[in-house]
Amino acid sequence: VHPNVSQGCQGGCATCSDYNGCLSCKPRLFFVLERTGMKQIGVCLSSCPSGYYGTRYPDINKCAKCKADCDTCFTRNFCTKCKSGFYLYSGKCLEKCPDGLEANNHTMECTSIVH
Amino acid sequence: RLDANLISVVPEKSFEGLLSLRHLWLDDNALTEIPVQALNHLPALQAMTLALNQIWHIPDFAFQNLSSLVVLHLHNNRIQSLGANGFDGLHNLETLDLNYNELLEFPGAIKTLGRLQELGFHSNNIKAIPENAFVGNPLLQTIHFYDNPIQFVGQSAFQYLPKLHTLSLNGATDIREFPDLKGTTSLEVLTLTHAGILLLPRGMCQQLPSLRVLELSHNQIEDLPSFHWCQRLEELGLQHNRIHEIRADTFVQLIALRSIDLSWNSIRFIHPEAFVTLHSLTKLDLTDNQLVTLPLDGLGGLTHLKLQGNPAVSEPLTKESFPKMRVLEVPYAYQCCAYGSCSSFFKMSSQWEAEDMSPEEEDPHKRTMELFPGHADNQYDLDTDDLQLDLEESKLHPTVQCTPSPGPFKPCDNLFE
Repeated sequence: VHPNVSQGCQGGCATCSDYNGCLSCKPRLFFVLERTGMKQIGVCLSSCPSGYYGTRYPDINKCAKCKADCDTCFTRNFCTKCKSGFYLYSGKCLEKCPDGLEANNHTMECTSIVH
Repeated sequence: RLDANLISVVPEKSFEGLLSLRHLWLDDNALTEIPVQALNHLPALQAMTLALNQIWHIPDFAFQNLSSLVVLHLHNNRIQSLGANGFDGLHNLETLDLNYNELLEFPGAIKTLGRLQELGFHSNNIKAIPENAFVGNPLLQTIHFYDNPIQFVGQSAFQYLPKLHTLSLNGATDIREFPDLKGTTSLEVLTLTHAGILLLPRGMCQQLPSLRVLELSHNQIEDLPSFHWCQRLEELGLQHNRIHEIRADTFVQLIALRSIDLSWNSIRFIHPEAFVTLHSLTKLDLTDNQLVTLPLDGLGGLTHLKLQGNPAVSEPLTKESFPKMRVLEVPYAYQCCAYGSCSSFFKMSSQWEAEDMSPEEEDPHKRTMELFPGHADNQYDLDTDDLQLDLEESKLHPTVQCTPSPGPFKPCDNLFE
């Protein structure tokens, strides 16, 4: 084991170092790099923080950022809740609803026009 | 969210009544089959992941009632086979991820996915992409299929994909002809390497008006058409082919072309006007060809020029021909002398005489200064003003990295003249 990697790690870390926090996570946890000033610290979470989405892979589970106009997302290209000022439609954040749909200012979604 | 559990079976009525459910996570479980029955009751579902399970087959009509589904992730399973109607019913699907599976054949079932934009099936065992492979998917923007043992690609496989930006095909050794890309007019990056292409069609560029990067290395191309109509071309990679001539019209009017790699060909002749109109050209690699001379017209903007492996190119080069040169590789050391390497060479020799100088005494900063060209008689003990002046001057004439640099056994004079 690398000299700088300590075994007595906290939380969900599998390996960690004094300077960089978690280097790898226990199974099924998501690895996230948190920035504190200039420093980046690795942390292991059971789910990704708000504004991020998780992708599971055999060797690592990663969190990645949603698009700028999106608060929470399923994948980068599929938003589940838009930032204020945008309407959600089929995973996309729109400033204006497409023709044939109406903007619901309560749910901030584009919905079918009910006649 | 049901991800990261040990679910091996999803009973038929598990989701009954969940008529508004939109997002379902079933990834990282122990499913061996698609829970077809359970998925029949989710009319509002828009996004689902079944990744990281042990699913081995997708039966026909597996997702037939998921008409609202937009995103479907099936990566990291063991999918080997796929019913011809496996994706029927997915009328709104835009993203399909089949990466990291064991598919043996091209997933023909995608033909019904008329709104598909993003498709991934890289890291499978697919050997061929058939003719008209994506005829049912006109909205495709990205297709990832690297890391498949693809040998054959149908000539019409990538036709009529007006939104496709990037196409990468590497190692498909059975490809003999350049693909017909009729209707795939937005292609910007085309990589087609390590195949057996002999000829580039004359009308190739007319089909690809948006092309920026064309990478065709490691094929068997002998003769080049005119790339004139590829007006946005910026990078051209033709290394490791069998090209023997560059004509006047080969690169004519390619005003955006920045980089050409023609290394490892058999080029004997380059027309004097071949580079004249290439106002943006900065990198030219002609390593290992059979050139006798290099036409200089149009090459004034070069920062990188590689000519090694052309033994017949013996004429000395002048600094005036390449005022912006930074990296130069030439057949003979004396051809580097135009770039002051000789003065640094003389300095180096005096430095070699002072070999008994212990490392501590040797000031690395002093050695860098020694290498400033044109300061052969530098006395090293410059005061700060001179040093500043010298540093300013060096920015104007940054040192040119020229190889092979002269040395005791690679003199500055061409001994054969």
